[in-house]
Amino acid sequence: MEKAASGVSWRRSAVALAVASLAIATGSAQAAEAPTRSEYVERLESVCKPDAEATQRAMKGARSDIKAERLKVAARKFAKATRIFGSTVKKISPVTRPTADKKRLGKWFTDLRRQESYLRQITSQLRAENAVKAQRLIARFIHSGNLANNAVLPFGFNYCSFKFSRYG
Amino acid sequence: MTLTLRRGVVCLALALAGCSLLFMTLARAERSQHGTLIVSLGGKLSPLSLPRDRAVPVAIRLEGSLRSADGSPLPRVNRVEVGLPKQGVLSTRGLPTCTRRKLIVTSDADALAACGQALVGRGRVDLTVRVPHQAPFAVHTRLLAFNARMGRRRAVLLHAYAVRPPLTVVIPFVISHGSGRFSTTLAANLPVLGRWARVAEFKMVLWRRYSYGGRSRSYLSASCPIPKRFTAGFFSFARIAYKLADGRSVDTAIARGCRAR
Repeated sequence: MEKAASGVSWRRSAVALAVASLAIATGSAQAAEAPTRSEYVERLESVCKPDAEATQRAMKGARSDIKAERLKVAARKFAKATRIFGSTVKKISPVTRPTADKKRLGKWFTDLRRQESYLRQITSQLRAENAVKAQRLIARFIHSGNLANNAVLPFGFNYCSFKFSRYG
Repeated sequence: MTLTLRRGVVCLALALAGCSLLFMTLARAERSQHGTLIVSLGGKLSPLSLPRDRAVPVAIRLEGSLRSADGSPLPRVNRVEVGLPKQGVLSTRGLPTCTRRKLIVTSDADALAACGQALVGRGRVDLTVRVPHQAPFAVHTRLLAFNARMGRRRAVLLHAYAVRPPLTVVIPFVISHGSGRFSTTLAANLPVLGRWARVAEFKMVLWRRYSYGGRSRSYLSASCPIPKRFTAGFFSFARIAYKLADGRSVDTAIARGCRAR
């Protein structure tokens, strides 16, 4: 009986040791893999650059369309921009983040998702020709873009930052 | 009846609070970082409510700063360019002009006495002065902006005056018109500030009403050209670009809204 109990406790200790060493190994591997801030910025900018340029192309003339009350045409442009924005966020969110910046980047991604949601809502309001609702959402979209920029100010992003001028 | 009225008042208050919050949040300064240098620019147009179809007198408020994220000395700025939107109209027809000669080595009271008729704005500039082997110190200057001409081009002469230490600097900003979002550009070379002074912060309001030819005119006018279905619109409001002595160029742009009336 005693022997059996000591066997169980030995097995338990072995499992605990294995789990602990696995955790340490994973942790140290992650720490080794975590990029520096400048490496992270470089990696993200290479993803954001083509998408930012594509957004600019997709949104070309959207302001004139809104001015001329071609809301459905503007909606198509916003829909394209939303798809590009969504795919950029999808591509950059799994990139390993610098350990010291995890909290800051977490907030940034929250703001980015909020922006994506606003873009989607703007598209549907423009499609439904609800001008005033679309206009309110555009204000929120700009505001959350500025908040997102503030969250990652020390990163000095160019293509990954929000710029109003890219949207038409 | 009272309940409906109260509900109405609450709804109206909430709507107004929402609107003011919307425009307040959009009126804050936006920042961008380039290396360790943080460039910020804020500003607003007043009044916010403008006609859709005709330009009316407006004032433009701009404020900006240069700051280093790690406390290192600010770089020297060789040139600054301020871009203003194409929706605005800048009129100097019939507005008196001032010359640089009238402003050199004058206090702000003397400058106003000499060129008060040409005044188009006021503000302040804070400089950080770093003289070798001395602790850096701040210089707070009061700013006056005067309508002027540089050759055949329209210009704004900025008269910066500090009491302690006594200092007067006159910076000519040349106005040019081009294409693009910020088609009106005010540009100045800043070697006039010398080797040791660094621009840290500025605040500026451009506004002037005057009469000419029996008509009331404004230095700056703007409209809010949006479709009838919309009540507010957003536009690229201002851009500031600094050319630094180390060859870098840094810039930032801001968007603002207007309400149609």
